[in-house]
This record gives sequence, C-alpha cells and structure tokens, in this order.
Amino acid sequence: MSASPLIDIQHISYSYPAPKGKKGEIQPVAALREVDLQVQQGEYLVLLGHNGSGKSTLARHCNALLLPDCGHVLVSGLDTRDTSKQQTIRERVGIIFQNPDNQIIATVVEDDVAWALAVRGLPTEVIRERVDAAMAMVGITHLRQLPPHKLSGGQRQRLAIAGVLALRPQCIIADEATAMLDPLSRQEITLLLHQINQEYGLTIIQVTHLLEEAALGQRVVVMEQGRIVLEGSPATIFADLERLRALKLAIPDPIELADRLRRAGVALSASAITVEAIAQEIVP
Amino acid sequence: MSDAIIVTQHLSHTYQSGPLQKAALIDVSLEIERGSCVAIIGFNGSGKTTLVQHFNGLLRPSEGTVLVDGVNVGSGNVDLRTLRQHVGMLFQFPEGQLFERTVFADVAFGPRRMKLSRREIRTRVLEALEAVGLPQHEYAWRSPFDLSGGQRRRVALAGVLAMRPSILVLDEPTVGLDASGREEFYSYLGHIRREQGVTIVLVSHDMTEVASLADQLFVMYEGRLVLEGTPRAVFAQGDRLRVWRLAPPPLSELLALLRQRGLTIPSDAFTVDEVFAVLQHSGQSGR
Repeated sequence: MSASPLIDIQHISYSYPAPKGKKGEIQPVAALREVDLQVQQGEYLVLLGHNGSGKSTLARHCNALLLPDCGHVLVSGLDTRDTSKQQTIRERVGIIFQNPDNQIIATVVEDDVAWALAVRGLPTEVIRERVDAAMAMVGITHLRQLPPHKLSGGQRQRLAIAGVLALRPQCIIADEATAMLDPLSRQEITLLLHQINQEYGLTIIQVTHLLEEAALGQRVVVMEQGRIVLEGSPATIFADLERLRALKLAIPDPIELADRLRRAGVALSASAITVEAIAQEIVP
Repeated sequence: MSDAIIVTQHLSHTYQSGPLQKAALIDVSLEIERGSCVAIIGFNGSGKTTLVQHFNGLLRPSEGTVLVDGVNVGSGNVDLRTLRQHVGMLFQFPEGQLFERTVFADVAFGPRRMKLSRREIRTRVLEALEAVGLPQHEYAWRSPFDLSGGQRRRVALAGVLAMRPSILVLDEPTVGLDASGREEFYSYLGHIRREQGVTIVLVSHDMTEVASLADQLFVMYEGRLVLEGTPRAVFAQGDRLRVWRLAPPPLSELLALLRQRGLTIPSDAFTVDEVFAVLQHSGQSGR
C-alpha cells in the first residue's frame, strides 16, 4: 500500500464487559477477534455484516469510543489509547448513529450544527462560515431556522451529518445511519455520503447490513463473529451469493436475478451489481 | 359485497396542537376484508399511524365513521375494553414495553387483566409463545431482557396474541431489525395468519417488505388515501410512487429501466422467477 493509512487497526480483540453483579456467571463474549484493517485517506469502505457480527464494535474503535483489549488502533499515527490524543482523534473521525435524535441537542437546526464548534470556543465568524458550509453540503440550508422535531427522519440524519462535518473531520463513520429511515431516505443518505466522498475527498466508513448499500463502495469488508471473513471490491463480494446468504445477509432481488441470468449463460459482467448497471448490460 | 371487518367512511381526523390545527386524515374511505392481510403504506407523517389508531378507539374520528365488525368506534357508548381485546395492537418498538421478570409473566399480563382462570392463562401464554417460535421449555422462564432484539419483539407480539384478538394491527413491526430478524418475524406472522385466521393490518413505509404477505395495499400520502390495490398493481406504478415519497421495489425499478431502454416486458412480471423467465427468453432471442 502507498502512504501510511488514515486508520490502522493492528490485531485488535475486544470483549464487552460482563454486566455488573453477574461477573463470573456470564463469560464475556468476544466481539472482535484479532482484527487487522487499514483504511486509506479518501477511501469509501463498507463494513457489512448481520446484527452481532462485530461491525459496529469495529467502527467504534476507529474514533476511540471503544478501546481494544489488545492490539492497537492508530488514527493518522495517534494511538486511540492515548487519552491526551482522544479529542483530536474524535475531531478527525466523526461518527453518526442509527438514531439521529441521540446526537441532536439544540432547539434550532443551525444552532445544533454550531454546537460542537461553540463548545470548543471558536470565533463567531469561523463558526458562521463552517455552519453555513456544512448545511450547504448536506442540503439543509432552507431548514436552518426550524426546530429539529419538525424535520423528517432523513432530514434529521442530514442534520447529524452536518454537525459532524462542521468539525472538518477527515473521516465520517456512518454506523447503521440508514437503519431507521424509510427506503427512499435510505437511498438519499447513502447517495449523500458518496457525494461527500467524491466531492470533498472525505474518507467514509459505512456500517450496514444491506447489500444494496454496499454495492457503491470502493471496498467491502464482511464481518462474522468478530472476524473479517471476506474482503474485496463489491463485484468480487457479490460473486458468491451462497456465501453471503450463509452470512445471514439478504440478497436484493435484482442481484439474485443477475446471478441467475449469468448462470443461464446471459452475458452479464461481474460488475453489474446495481439496477442501472444491470439494465445497461441487458440492453446495451 | 364482500365481508368487511373494518370499514371507514369519509374518515377525517384533525389534531389540535396549541392554536394550530393539523389535518392528519382527510376523507379516508376504505374496507378491509375479514381474514385478509392488508398493509397501510406511506411516508412519515402520511397519516398511517393516525388511521390505524382509530381501529381500536385510541383516536376518535373528527368526521366520518369507523366500523369495526359492525361496531361504530366513534360513538360515545362503545365498550373500549371489549374493542381492544378484539383489536390487538402492536406499537412501534414494542420490546420497549416489556417489563416483567420472565417471558411467561410478560405474555400473561394481558390475559391476567382479563380475569381468566389460571389454566386458561397458561394455555394461552404457551400457545402464543409457540406461535411466535419461542417454545416454552426454552424461553418461558428466561428474562425478556436476555433475548435478542428480534426475539424480544416476538415476545411483545405473543403478549398481544394471548388476548386472542380477531384483528391484529402492527405498526412498523420490523423497524430496526436486521434481515434475518425481519424474515423470521414475517414468517411467524404468516404462520399465525394461516393457523388462526386473524385479520392482519400492517403499517409500513417499506412496501417491498410486506409484498409477500399482504393481499391488499393502501397507499397514504399527506393524510389522504391515494391508491389501493394488490401489491402487483401498486408496484406497476413504478416511478410514480416517488411522488408519494415511496421507493419502488428494486426489481420494479429494474423493469422500468429495461422498458425505458426499449425491452418489452409483460406488465404482469412481478417475482424474480417471472422476470427471469422473460429475460432468459429475450436474452437468447436477442443474440
């Protein structure tokens, strides 16, 4: 690989601590087992897996929300275990969660985007400029004066992304950020993350259990029982549907259809994994 | 006419929020057939939850009428207790309502309030647990909080089933579950439907998900019923669905693109099998 990676995960393992009062009764379950992963600056990485596969746990190690039991996580060279560096690490690697309501604080949209900047004591002009830029990037400028509860789920998730963008991070982790949204908003948020990656060169790590969201990634890492079990381009990952099914992932109808057509001898390339690409290859 | 178990006629509902009034439902007339499975589909704020909350008297119509098995839910002297045993409702994120120490106690909560005999309660609880795939010998005495998200949701469903409702209303029953959790939930629901002949009303924003289960879809948008029909007929609307903030199912989207590119595909092609048959044929003849 070229330059040193933005995020360097070296052989980490992690178990969630047993609930209080039950120590000894319950064996802690290993959520991550000896995981190695490097994420390059500007990459669009998808962490794919069913519930409980360890993908969220892994993502949360990337900005020091969780610290490994053994092994190291370096974010542009800074060790996440170094408490004096954790604030810097979290400014570089922002995270958005499943439920945007958990990270919306203020009573007006633009105040909410400004929150983390104000807490850090940045000058007013800088805050203004960054808040305006962040709202424009996610397309919520017209909603700036509204209270967050008047926004739809998709708009609130955009607001959460703007709040993270305002800190000018190098990487955004979307931890199942579309799971609570309706299908149309889900597509829109995924497209927005891609746009942010393409236009501004931000590194994106998208955590999901949906294959259709993985199709647009540059690299897909599939997790199962705390380990990385598959890794590669979406086209190579989607080539073995039986394996994906065994990993408890749902196969979208168009992918299933394309696979059956290929087997039946219809000329479809391995990279035809989106609805558009499949249509284009069937009728050139 | 057919045997309708739920009928709404020109149903409107207006919420009063402070000085403002918000029309959440506008002139909705529909019929749900006894023993069928229907899905109310719509974007956030389209009025789908408001609509189904009329079915067990949680809300009363501002205008129009709601008849549930012939009972006018809007009338002042309706017996809500009986109505709600008749119409079981599972809310969003129902696992948040579990509170007892064991799965058995939680499922038994409703039947106990019905003042049934111990034996009857026991029978009903065990049946309900069986129906949702949580056999008693394995699950009844565990704490509901030690179960997975999907299992907890099924415990909540069992709690409603133990009341033996004739209508089951489920509001966004699979939001937040992963693919296998969803599939499991729907397979148990299909099973319950076949075994017990209950009428099922699903509320969802994802029509792809309910397509295999529902006989009839009702599409809501901004408080109005804008479309009704079988999943096949509704999916055939293709891109028009986006106007109502609904995502066309991926397969319909593919078909729409293929048609745009000049391929003739019969309008009744709907499942992966059907489309495969069509494309395999046209693929061979094209080459």
